[in-house]
Amino acid sequence: MTDSSEGTGPDPARLYLPRRKVAFAGRRGTAVSAISSVAVIALLVSVFFWAPGGANVRATFFSFHDMWVAFRGDPSKGLLSVGSGLITNIWMFLLSEVLVLAIGLLIAVARVSRSPVLAPFRVLATLYTDVFRGIPILLVVYIIGFGLPALSLGAISSQSPAVYGVTALTISYSAYVAEVYRAGINSVPHGQILAARSLGLTYAATMRRVVLPQAVRTVIPPLLNDFISMQKDTALVSTLGAIEATRAAQIYSSTVFNFSSYVVAALLFLVLTVPLTRYTDHLIARDRSRRLAGAS
Amino acid sequence: MSVLELRHVEKRFGEHPVLRDVSLTLEAHRVACLIGASGSGKSTLLRCANLLESIDAGDVLLHGQSLGDPRVDPNLVRREIAMVFQSFNLFPHLSVLDNVLLGPRYALGRDRAEAESEARTLLARIGLESRAGDYPDRLSGGQQQRVAIVRSLAMRPSVLLLDEVTSALDPTLVGEVLDLLRDLATAGTTMLIATHEMAFAREVASEVLFLEEGVIVERGTPAQIFDDPQEPATRAFLRRSE
Amino acid sequence: MRLTRLTLSAALVGAALTGVVAATPSGATSTPSLASCKTSIQKQEHQKGYLTVATDSPAYTPWFVNNKPSNGQGYESAVAYAIAGALGISKSHVKWVVEPFDASYAPGPKPFDFDINEISYTADRAKAVSFSTSYYDVQQSIVAMKGSKIVTAHSPAQLRTYQYGDQIGTTGLAFINSYIKPTKPARVYNTLDEAVAALQEHLIDALVIDTPTGQYMASAQIVDKKNKPLAVQVGQFPSVGEHYGLLFQKGNPMVGCVDAAIAQLRHNGTLGRLTKKWLGIYTSVPLIKP
Repeated sequence: MTDSSEGTGPDPARLYLPRRKVAFAGRRGTAVSAISSVAVIALLVSVFFWAPGGANVRATFFSFHDMWVAFRGDPSKGLLSVGSGLITNIWMFLLSEVLVLAIGLLIAVARVSRSPVLAPFRVLATLYTDVFRGIPILLVVYIIGFGLPALSLGAISSQSPAVYGVTALTISYSAYVAEVYRAGINSVPHGQILAARSLGLTYAATMRRVVLPQAVRTVIPPLLNDFISMQKDTALVSTLGAIEATRAAQIYSSTVFNFSSYVVAALLFLVLTVPLTRYTDHLIARDRSRRLAGAS
Repeated sequence: MSVLELRHVEKRFGEHPVLRDVSLTLEAHRVACLIGASGSGKSTLLRCANLLESIDAGDVLLHGQSLGDPRVDPNLVRREIAMVFQSFNLFPHLSVLDNVLLGPRYALGRDRAEAESEARTLLARIGLESRAGDYPDRLSGGQQQRVAIVRSLAMRPSVLLLDEVTSALDPTLVGEVLDLLRDLATAGTTMLIATHEMAFAREVASEVLFLEEGVIVERGTPAQIFDDPQEPATRAFLRRSE
Repeated sequence: MRLTRLTLSAALVGAALTGVVAATPSGATSTPSLASCKTSIQKQEHQKGYLTVATDSPAYTPWFVNNKPSNGQGYESAVAYAIAGALGISKSHVKWVVEPFDASYAPGPKPFDFDINEISYTADRAKAVSFSTSYYDVQQSIVAMKGSKIVTAHSPAQLRTYQYGDQIGTTGLAFINSYIKPTKPARVYNTLDEAVAALQEHLIDALVIDTPTGQYMASAQIVDKKNKPLAVQVGQFPSVGEHYGLLFQKGNPMVGCVDAAIAQLRHNGTLGRLTKKWLGIYTSVPLIKP
């Protein structure tokens, strides 16, 4: 209750935040959030230390010695380096991503076209996306990796497992990415197409200059999501005999009976994917602020 | 010779007729205004005129040449018949300058430097040269619509179709767009304008056409239509829109 | 792979007596008498009243026959039943479960008493699980398709030039990497069947596998429609002291009694007899050097 008889007007404090909330605002808020983060992490870590099997898990999953040896490899024991295995993953997904971006776009454009000339391609593209989104990627990897060599078709049948892996990933992910592109294309307002066509732009020029640039901006986050997923799926290529990070980790684990190598592989994959997700967010933010701030 | 002519045009969406026996002739340097309630077929008429919609019967002629001829390339036709939309439809991923340059460069295949100097001149005419590098989101509605009009003019069209270009605007912004259209009319631009702005139509039009349910009910000079309408439907419409 | 650390005296005596190299994993408990085991083992069983024995599926010939561990046929099946017998457990009280190799060494309680799955003892592995003493001493061999270059050209220098492949976690794979040291990295498959498929499709030139499995593969597994062998066992490598042991949960007290049973089976000639019966047809494999 305020005493209005003093004639100073209403008490300014009636507009204040409750004191408890003031503690969470501003610089003190940063400190509070830091403390609460540490507390939560400490709780999780202590569960890990106090659990009955905790010591066992630490020794089999988080042994620093094993992690280091698995990372470097040890040829004298026949152990392959998880670190150099990752290089195989990296070039496999870099190559697949470039191919998927191009092939997925072609499929999407074929699917949305209304031209009668492209009708057979439209049917094929629809069939393609239906089939390859429906088949588990592992099976595609097997079918390509063991099927193509069985054909005995010269160069087609004598590639390395990693090449077959890239082929299989490209085939599968092109189907997903084509659908992502298609969603993006469909999200461009019809008025944009009308405006471009009324300027006399051909269908192809409208697609290239107006529809696709907007569609691609819209689909960058889901596209990057698929790419992160694909980076992880390069591990499936190990089933064809390629030595990549997870396979090297598996060899370590099955030779020494210790799972720390998997933790190393997991950490290395994080090192790859986290910058990509951060970069995507940065791209989106930059594009957004550029359009809103009107810089040239 | 007429620039644009519609002869007995019929258009149906499914079973529903939207244009019935529509004929009109637009001479060079003249302005025709289409008035009528929403849904009377004004937008469809404009879209049929530049082949964004196909017609079911009748004919559209540009400079006396039938556009129904299968040898006619609609893309070439649209380069001569420019269109401005109610909702601007500027390309949000392109700067103001690139919006204006898109048609000249990728439809007409013109050289960038030459097209750019012309585009800047056009933007200067509407006082937006300094905003050439901005993206459309940063402009007001009136500015956006003026850029959209300039984007059409950059094609150097024979005729300009305008589809209720002030309807989506805040009332305070309508004036700047109408001023631009007045200037264009004065400069002799051939225009077919669908509009709800009766005072504006009276001022700039050489002919006013009243459209109701896909039929041109009455046509004449602004004085004839606004001061002495003959048809009961026209009178009813004008009373409603006062 | 590390060379098996041998308890020298035991190895020499064992080798002299039976021709089989015995090994004592570090930390093995002192061996109890078989008589006391017959009663004590009942308290140690994973499922009371049964000896639960695990192996992977598919189970390969000649270690098992027809992928049916419970038929008593094949060396490992026969050894498992012989161990049960020595511990006073009747055949009907031996229960078989499927345990994928990858899962067999995961931390946590194991759903079996022991796993018999051609698992090689190494000191590293013995940190995570417990092993019995040797029930089979292993030599590695090379299997290739007939007509391959490796069939005739396999000097140590030539051996390095081929494309090898193997199943994950096998000592054959470890042998390739640590003894042959090929110039092209060996390809590694999830199952032996996939490695065999790769061999047949000439994706790999050769695979390295223990001699009995390799013999079966070359003589009966990789065949044409008329059962004519398409592959050949090129030769076997000299012993590097590798042996197979039964895999137990780390610290499982049953290891002592099982070791006692294995010791008796070796002593009374049962192991030798079973080796001869199930693996003995493969004797004429030439020796080659890595």
